[in-house]
Amino acid sequence: MSHLSIPKKLITKNPLPKITISLSLSLSPILPSPTDATTTHERLSLSFPYLNTKKNQLMDAKSASTYSPNPTRKTKPPIFADPDWSRPDSRGFHHCRPAFFRTGAVNSASGSAYAEFGNTKVIVSVFGPRESKKAMMFSDIGRLNCNVSYTTFATPVRGQGSDHKEHSSMLHKALEGAIILESFPKTTVDVFALVLESGGSDLPVVITCASLALADAGIMMYDLVTSVSVSCLGKNLLIDPILEEESYQDGSLTIACMRSRYEVTQLTITGEWSTPNINEAMQLCLDACSKLGNIMRSCLKETASASQE
Amino acid sequence: MVGLSIGEKHFIQGGIAQDLRTDGRKRLTYRPIYVETGVIPQANGSARVKLGTTDVIASVKAEIGKPSPLQPDKGKVSIYVDCSPTAAPIFEGRGGEELSAELSVALQICLLGGKSGAGAGINLSSLVVAEGKVCWDLYIDCLVISSDGNLLDALGAAIKAALSNTGIPRVHVAASASGDEQPEVDISDEEYLQFDTSDVPVIVTLTKVGRHSIVDATSEEESQMRSAVSVSVNKRGHICGLSKRGGAGLDPSVILDMISEAKYVSEQLTNKLDSEIAAAEADDDDER
Repeated sequence: MSHLSIPKKLITKNPLPKITISLSLSLSPILPSPTDATTTHERLSLSFPYLNTKKNQLMDAKSASTYSPNPTRKTKPPIFADPDWSRPDSRGFHHCRPAFFRTGAVNSASGSAYAEFGNTKVIVSVFGPRESKKAMMFSDIGRLNCNVSYTTFATPVRGQGSDHKEHSSMLHKALEGAIILESFPKTTVDVFALVLESGGSDLPVVITCASLALADAGIMMYDLVTSVSVSCLGKNLLIDPILEEESYQDGSLTIACMRSRYEVTQLTITGEWSTPNINEAMQLCLDACSKLGNIMRSCLKETASASQE
Repeated sequence: MVGLSIGEKHFIQGGIAQDLRTDGRKRLTYRPIYVETGVIPQANGSARVKLGTTDVIASVKAEIGKPSPLQPDKGKVSIYVDCSPTAAPIFEGRGGEELSAELSVALQICLLGGKSGAGAGINLSSLVVAEGKVCWDLYIDCLVISSDGNLLDALGAAIKAALSNTGIPRVHVAASASGDEQPEVDISDEEYLQFDTSDVPVIVTLTKVGRHSIVDATSEEESQMRSAVSVSVNKRGHICGLSKRGGAGLDPSVILDMISEAKYVSEQLTNKLDSEIAAAEADDDDER
């Protein structure tokens, strides 16, 4: 298991084991304002179902005729202007979540990879190159077909799963520039991504994991594609935002790049940005991308050396 | 697809390198813009924009709805694009669907701003009638009638024109409803609220052909593109959204150069578009 921590200054020597991180999400008393007591409680009740009964009794006493717990977890947005505000998982603003990669997650696929960034868990399998469907016209370069789907239990509100067209087209655009399509004419490579748990920054994790799966499948590429996003909250730039931070963000910037070639294959910006801000965010992302690339390379090397033995 | 001979391709690329394109424009010049508003009487607002031979229609329909529980103080806006097969044979079936989806996503990125609503062209809070209970749902539907490149900029302009043409009826909420009940609403026939569209950004697409980037590419020029960056810029010169098309990678510094070019072009485009919209609105009023 490899841990990722971004700018050089902030590298943690002893990253916490994963179990502690997820616990700190639900139990941590780091949130300063008193209103957060309820937040912590509600999160607790989400993690430990038996507490729900107690909470529902309380709710019944008030008014609600409904029995189901409210899907809106938070009552009040955290105050980002507060200088003491820290991220819910106590990371630094420019500090990524620990990244974990493993190739060969699916046996029947040509190549596959599993990625876990905090609570975001993604599995990607690559099939092919295989013959294009009969209906497709002749093409002297290969085709890339991408599909991103969510499991029904991936999001806090159940059943918003199934296909995600926006992410699919974004994934396609991010990868097509990196793959040497000329190397497999008349055929199609299928990339299927499944988000097992959505914990924020889903698309960047999917893109990163997909390029690892392509490498595992032995598809020729110019370089590995790595992707990182930055959220803008007030004046702060937060790298690798979690779901909660994403829901309050004023803007976001997502970069997918090939670090060794120093090329950006995909860039999306939402929200209002000034040029110096974009500059800063891009540098932050590119820096993170190159570090992420190193982790992916070491993961591939590990697999290769293990198979030799 | 556009079928071009090798000679034609060289002619287009050479012209762009020399800052004189096949139709006599410079690299950073738009084709003439023509705006007509109020083209669809059934809609709350509509506009037709022609950019050279690219021709699109945008319509805005408003319906009473319920705000989502996650964002009780905001209305909802959805943008859909339909590429009719009448515009080009490749729009039939899957090809059209893919392009429609791509354009819809790009427009949402460029016009609707961040999750918290910062930088959005449309003020979502102004669509709320009664917090958590009643709000307006805006459905923005766009139709591509004829396609000759640069659809995204034309669609962005059409949406801006359609929104400035939109009148939303004033709504009176009956005060009697209490608790969780859905209050009764009374929609006025006479009083309309006008949208403030000064904050709606314009979209500028810079297409990279060879080493140079051009604005407002025709479909011939688009067939020669390596990649394109669409930037939406508001009146204050801030970037409100950016999306990239085309597979080829770009150097980060090139992207920053393209952003500053887009900012420069957007000033002229905003002024031109604003005056065209004002003229079209005046025409529309005269006819009534």
